[in-house]
Amino acid sequence: MIFCKLQQTKKGMENMKECQRLICAVLVLSGGFAARARADGETIAVFTKNQTNPFFQTVRVGADAAAKGLGAKTLHYIPTKPDSIPEQLSQIEDVVVKKPNAIVFTPVDYKAMVPGIEKVNEAGIPVVNITDRSAGGKFLAFVGADDYSLGLDTARYLLKTLGSKGNIVIIEGVKGSLTNVDRVRGFNDALKENPGAKLLASQPGNYQRLQALQVMENLMQSNPQIDGVLAANDAMAVGAIEALDGANRKAQVIGINGTREAVDAIKSGKLLASGDYNGFVQGCVGTMIAIRSLRGQPAVTEIVLKPTIITRDNYQPYDVPLESRTCPSWDEAAKLGTK
Amino acid sequence: MTDLAKQALAPPRSLVSGDALQILYRLLAALLICVVLSFLSDSFLSLGNILNVLRQASLMFFIASGLTLVVLTAGLDLSVGANVALSACLAGTVIQQTGSPTLGVLTGLATGGIIGLLNGMMVTALRIPSFIATYGMLWVLNGLTYWYMAGETIHGFPPGFRQIGSGYLFGLPIPVYLLLIFLAVGTIFAQRTTWGQEIYATGANPVAARLSGIPIARRLLLVYGVSGTMAGMASIVFLARLNSAEADIGESLTLPAIAAVLIGGTSLFGGVGTVFGTFVGALILTLVLNGMNLLSVNASWQPIVTGVIVVLAVWVDMKTRRRTS
Repeated sequence: MIFCKLQQTKKGMENMKECQRLICAVLVLSGGFAARARADGETIAVFTKNQTNPFFQTVRVGADAAAKGLGAKTLHYIPTKPDSIPEQLSQIEDVVVKKPNAIVFTPVDYKAMVPGIEKVNEAGIPVVNITDRSAGGKFLAFVGADDYSLGLDTARYLLKTLGSKGNIVIIEGVKGSLTNVDRVRGFNDALKENPGAKLLASQPGNYQRLQALQVMENLMQSNPQIDGVLAANDAMAVGAIEALDGANRKAQVIGINGTREAVDAIKSGKLLASGDYNGFVQGCVGTMIAIRSLRGQPAVTEIVLKPTIITRDNYQPYDVPLESRTCPSWDEAAKLGTK
Repeated sequence: MTDLAKQALAPPRSLVSGDALQILYRLLAALLICVVLSFLSDSFLSLGNILNVLRQASLMFFIASGLTLVVLTAGLDLSVGANVALSACLAGTVIQQTGSPTLGVLTGLATGGIIGLLNGMMVTALRIPSFIATYGMLWVLNGLTYWYMAGETIHGFPPGFRQIGSGYLFGLPIPVYLLLIFLAVGTIFAQRTTWGQEIYATGANPVAARLSGIPIARRLLLVYGVSGTMAGMASIVFLARLNSAEADIGESLTLPAIAAVLIGGTSLFGGVGTVFGTFVGALILTLVLNGMNLLSVNASWQPIVTGVIVVLAVWVDMKTRRRTS
């Protein structure tokens, strides 16, 4: 309107008509969109942490698959700067204005995003929390995996393969991040259960491939015999394998996340196993819960996925393009959790 | 003004100069770190570990050497890391699609070079401060890379190509040869050619440089182009060494590269510094990380140690320079 007024004072009444026509067009168009949105079913806003980690891509594809299956549609909110707290906060403010029917939410920081969630709660938009459990705010449900048991079980698998003995190194993720703290705690507890295994070093690779490669190169210098490598994510595990290959040395390596690259490495026998964080199912089930509760169907309030270890015996279902994977049915989904 | 012009047009400086003294200090610092580490860890002084450190330093050096030229002109290139990421992802795609490592290498270098030239144009034609221009470029490149990769990872390259990053020749890793070549070329270019000297002059005093007839815009375009191409070079070595690339590989590369340039004694105010100094800077940073891994220093302490060393190195540098001048 302000734009029209300016035009009016400048160029007189002739433009005014054109302006009205423009407004009409905009109104008709937006009306049309609104009508289409109703026809297509609910709009679910999906919040993920970044565009760079393959894991969140699996979450988004899972959410899309679930929404498509149920005749709803998704709208993705991803910070352009990975894991940016201010950016996700401003995206929440956006969403509070746009009012989608429901939100599926991964906090970039489990504490810092609580005020944002409180705003969403005030606006009365239902939210499902996935992946990282928020420290506060009201949610319909939580769907996630447990980093601790994932770390514990994957490390146990490696130690079992090594016969409960051998020299082990841990390559840690970003110090202080929630996922890393729990995964490394799981690794260490698995080592405690196997006193025959010896922890040589626990060094940071910051979830980065290159840093993990260099850490591994350095550790190989001071340790002539390394039998097992516990890496807190797949990129670091594959980086460590490159370092081992470069030095013509062999060790059993595990990673976490169950990425496509890890599945390929398991298939070719380079990687022993990867703990599946199961982003696809998290995206699926989180979105299903949101839509079910909007439609007044019964849903659950908490699903913590049981850890699955991808190994050479069971990698086949993961060895397909992400887009052709299918969401579990609701009955299956409700059984996936530990609670 | 004539004095300044004369200073700017002074004949190429000899290799034994104030700069050489500064480099000597840095080599002594690196040596000191080596001596300390060799006492603390038995495995530090092995041939294997020395080659290991050199190979690790090479990647940082490729990025930092081009950056050195930019900093010599009192500019900064913040887009180098993001440049490496995009160049690596494009080069990786080309290698996988065409099966030709040569085309892939050319793609990586060209992508890097074009990005560098775009930076240069923003700085010269649009007169945007380099800090802002390359910061903007960083975001644009990140956006392009994230969009292009869509959270995927490119991995698995032909063994021939992988030799660039993980191969050996006469017992020395290939990246170390590349490092030595670029170190020599960079040093000769900066110290012994007219263009190199003009770059120093541009950074030391742009007004005097312009008055003495140096085509500043063209020289600036050159340094940003070189910086971008070296980032492209680093992306190739990265791909060949790591055998894969994803969108976020660049983020952790920019700040260490800048740190290597600064530890190497290149002044952010331009006109002072050497490519060899940057090599020593990259070596020092790599040595420290290597040492901390060998000694199993707790993960929390590692960034603190690195930070303290950067600040300390620049502080000592400023102290000694003030004394010599």
